[in-house]
Amino acid sequence: MGNKSSLMLQEQDIKDIQEETGFLPGQIERLYSRFTSLDKGDNGSLSREDFLRIPELAINPLGDRIVHAFFKESEDDHVNFRQFVRVLAHFRPIKHNQENNLNAREEKLRFAFKMYDLDDDERISREELLAVLHMMVGENISDEQLNSIAERTILEADTDGDQMISFEEFCAALERSDVEQKMSIKFLK
Amino acid sequence: MKTMKCVLLFSCVVALVSPRCVALPNTPTEPHHVVSPTNFYNASSAHDNLLDDHSGVVAKTDILDHVSDYPHGFSDGGHGAEEGHGADHGAGHGAGHGSGHGQIERYPVAVIDFERVQTPFIIGLWIFCACLGKIGFHMTPKLSNVFPESCMLIVLGVLIGLLLFYTQAASVSPLTADVFFLYMLPPIILDAGYFMPNRLFFDHLGTILVFAVLGTIWNALTIGISLYVVGLAGIFSTNIPILHMLLFSSLISAVDPVAVLAVFEEIHVEEVLYILVFGESLLNDGVTVVLYHLFEGYSELGEENVQVVDIVSGIVSFLLVALGGTAIGIIWGFLTAFVTRFTSGVRVIEPIFVFVMSYLAYLNAEIFHLSGILSITFCGITMKNYVEQNISTKSHTTIKYAMKMLASSSETIIFMFLGVSTVQSRHEWNTWFVILTIVFCSIYRILGVWIFSAMCNRFRVKKITFVDKFIMSYGGLRGAVAFALVLTINVEHIPSQPIFLTATMAMVYFTVFLQGITIKPLTILLGVKRAEKRTLTMNERLHERSMDYITAGMEDVAGRHGNLLFRKKFKRFNNKYITPFLVRDKNVMEPKFIETFSQIKMNEALQYMATNGNASKNIESFTSLLRNAATHPHLLKNNQGEWNLDVGELEYNPTTRDINDAKFHHLLSSEYTAVKRHRGSTYKRHAVKDDDMQTQTDVNHHNMYLHTRKFVSNIKKPSKTTSKPAENGVVKHPMTVDTRAAFQQNGSAIKLKSDYMAHVMRDNPAFVDDDGISSYTRDKPVSKQRSTRGPTMAETALPWKRYSDDDVPTSAQKVKRQMSIVPDDGDNATPTMAEASLPWKRLEEEEICDQPLRQSEFPAWASNKEYVCYYSPSSTFLGGLGKHESYPNIREIFGRRSSSSSVSSRRGSLKDQHIGAKEKPPSKHYLKERVSSRSSLNEYISHTSPLHHPDMSLHMRRHSYTGEHSLLNTTIAEEEGRRDTVIDMNPDGEREQTRM
Repeated sequence: MGNKSSLMLQEQDIKDIQEETGFLPGQIERLYSRFTSLDKGDNGSLSREDFLRIPELAINPLGDRIVHAFFKESEDDHVNFRQFVRVLAHFRPIKHNQENNLNAREEKLRFAFKMYDLDDDERISREELLAVLHMMVGENISDEQLNSIAERTILEADTDGDQMISFEEFCAALERSDVEQKMSIKFLK
Repeated sequence: MKTMKCVLLFSCVVALVSPRCVALPNTPTEPHHVVSPTNFYNASSAHDNLLDDHSGVVAKTDILDHVSDYPHGFSDGGHGAEEGHGADHGAGHGAGHGSGHGQIERYPVAVIDFERVQTPFIIGLWIFCACLGKIGFHMTPKLSNVFPESCMLIVLGVLIGLLLFYTQAASVSPLTADVFFLYMLPPIILDAGYFMPNRLFFDHLGTILVFAVLGTIWNALTIGISLYVVGLAGIFSTNIPILHMLLFSSLISAVDPVAVLAVFEEIHVEEVLYILVFGESLLNDGVTVVLYHLFEGYSELGEENVQVVDIVSGIVSFLLVALGGTAIGIIWGFLTAFVTRFTSGVRVIEPIFVFVMSYLAYLNAEIFHLSGILSITFCGITMKNYVEQNISTKSHTTIKYAMKMLASSSETIIFMFLGVSTVQSRHEWNTWFVILTIVFCSIYRILGVWIFSAMCNRFRVKKITFVDKFIMSYGGLRGAVAFALVLTINVEHIPSQPIFLTATMAMVYFTVFLQGITIKPLTILLGVKRAEKRTLTMNERLHERSMDYITAGMEDVAGRHGNLLFRKKFKRFNNKYITPFLVRDKNVMEPKFIETFSQIKMNEALQYMATNGNASKNIESFTSLLRNAATHPHLLKNNQGEWNLDVGELEYNPTTRDINDAKFHHLLSSEYTAVKRHRGSTYKRHAVKDDDMQTQTDVNHHNMYLHTRKFVSNIKKPSKTTSKPAENGVVKHPMTVDTRAAFQQNGSAIKLKSDYMAHVMRDNPAFVDDDGISSYTRDKPVSKQRSTRGPTMAETALPWKRYSDDDVPTSAQKVKRQMSIVPDDGDNATPTMAEASLPWKRLEEEEICDQPLRQSEFPAWASNKEYVCYYSPSSTFLGGLGKHESYPNIREIFGRRSSSSSVSSRRGSLKDQHIGAKEKPPSKHYLKERVSSRSSLNEYISHTSPLHHPDMSLHMRRHSYTGEHSLLNTTIAEEEGRRDTVIDMNPDGEREQTRM
């Protein structure tokens, strides 16, 4: 499999991907081998089942959303390697010397925002927030408490008074938190 | 200025006291000895006991030379256990006894028995002086802006030391190693561990460990070897063997938690930086202790006798000391958490458990010569989360303040004693040794930080920057730990101990003064990020947590297992196994959310109270309320349609104060009641705790209630039988059930509330079933089932789930569709929330819906608590002022304690219907029409009153809300003393009746 994968990954592809995402060639190759190991069907693309087969992801409360994020860009229900890497590129640590638009703070924030915003209207409604809260908090909490938490959260961030959290409001609410660090993964070379 | 004052004061006291305590052993004709023999015997035997208790300790840790040099010691803090002292006492005792027998004793009028209280008295004076010094220090901003507090305390200590030294008042050696390690240090470390930001600490644990372990070893070895090499050149003029040098370097190399805390608390650097330095200083204790004992042992063995075995066992013992200490701490931490699980009956002792058990953890580790610091640190870290969930708010506050107080007084005393000891200790000044120690310490600290941070940076997502490195190396303060350790060195084994002592002192002074003073301007100069003290907003808490999950998920996808994975695993394990075992209440997966939420709420409520607190002194009494109600035209109007048995129907004219109180009440109570930590109970005026209410107002309230009820129903009785039940849009419980339920709040009320949501949803026009034909009998079982279970959030909030009641087959189909990720994969048992709500799944479902129900159809005001509670012009009595077409029910006004959303949405529906009822005159026909058209009504009725038989067609009741009636109860309690007034009301009411 390993051989095959490196065969399938052309020099030019690596270069392109590197250009686009800022990953180093070594990182790209490593990601590619990960990609192929996830790809049980061996058809060069990942389906939802492939993702959900990752055991940790299956129990991650936001697992479905995370998987969904990979499929945002693809029309059919398959993710190819380019798309796969592009999503992961959001999580590259920010370095001063290599600026890349994919892993900028705003992109990271947008990624997090999209986790909530399912209907793509650039706003987080109360229901969307509640759904995420419910996933994270679990069952042992009364609905009204969750409800009031959600309401409170919206009220706090909502500056224009539309009872939704727009992306701008979302960014403003998280202005002081260390998003760069929180949404960064150390990719191995 | 103040500092000077208190020094003067102290000196006066000392002057008064000192002749006695110094002279005592030699002059048996002290007033003391005039005491009657029994008294004296008690006193001295108490002393003897004290000495006996401690003699073991003294013998074990070969106590410092100067103790025996100054036999009539001023007594050392707390456990004044010096052998010399004890011996003198024995002599004094004997002599006193002898002379006592020789004379004829007369009963003394007054007795001065200073000796007996000497030790605690002087300790008290120390603390008193130190605290006065602190006050003075903080009252002079010029000083406190420049110097760290620790400097001031040391200076103060030096002054006192000098005073004592030159007045020959007493020879003080207050800071013995045992006092320090057994009494002074634990509170500081416990405070540090207990209030450690866990998340931060464990996020950076790797780096901290590298610095604490490798860094300390590095420092110890390089400093020791360098000093030795330099010493070979003969520059120190004495020959210090390598092992002694290493012993010294091992104690001087450790960064001191006390000093670091003292300085870094004041400069407020960014938390990551802070946790790196502070974590290092805490965790390096294990290393220091081991290295110290190791080299001490080697030194005693002698250089030539050290074998490989010893070195190996040294390494093994390091692991044992560090891990053993940690393990003991964790075990005690869990034990504490477990014990506090059962303290709900005796809240008072909760803080005791926290303090005593963590102290025991410390001592327990010390028994085996394990690292006590590690033990107590981890004990604090471990117990914190569980204990916090178990204990009451008051206990929490007590623990917090007691711990801070103990830690800060320990710290104060330590620094002062450091100052005093400077004067009193036996020094041997060796210029080169001192200078080189300081130089090497600084150089190797910087080098070490550079090397190890470069090492750590390879693995860190957030790199340690240059500025960070600088502050880390600059923050390597040495302090009292090193000093206490150097005191314990046995001068017989290591003759150069005085040199070490002096050098340590110099190092401590150098770091605390020079670095401590300059670090603040340097942080500003270098633009080190400052920490902001604030509580996280709900958004931050929520989104940061979700980011954690996202990042963890991405790590899984990328196939790399990072820190977050461990956290997640531990969290799951913790939630599943540990927490249920240690925590009394039911646990939620993200207790922090609720904590943050309640914190924010609490702050807001308090703020509101502070600004709008006692707005008016006009107390609206229940009497006047009744009177108002009786005379109000609204009552008359109502009589046409229905008869109301409830006081709740009475008109209520709130005053400003009531509004304020109620506003506050909303703020405080609505979210508070169910919150686990019971933060809300700290401040309550009206929202009396359940049990309080039970004891205080139950009986009174009941009597009162009966009175009122009789009164009201007397008015209405005549027409009650004749009048037909009319639809008012709202349904009422029978009163008795209602009140009972109100008292038993927690269980049933909450369930009722959540039931409520469902009804409200159903009752809302947006959710009326389309089929329209719904018989009562058909709806009944469904509703029954609902009320026992309580609707889940999903059922009430998600549009497709709502269908499950009326359209069983299709909804089942839908659910099936929703839950299958692969459309034909039918064996998926339960759909997760995510599956059900993700849009690509929802799509199919929407196709099926004949009439899609979107959330937007849910009127905005119905779910918006803010609007309904505070801004809505109608429906709440707050807004209802001056708006007379809808009169809110008093029961509802007071039943506000229920949760926001259910209340608010309900309120919305109430208003809606009420107005509807107003528009059409309530007639039988209308009622029928409504009942038939709105199938939900019956269901609604049966839901809201699960406690009584649903025979509501016989009596039309206004719905009385079964929330908590605390506000009402308070009013009643206030009124209770004036019950006769209420009875006097009767004529009023009768007049009313006649008028009708």
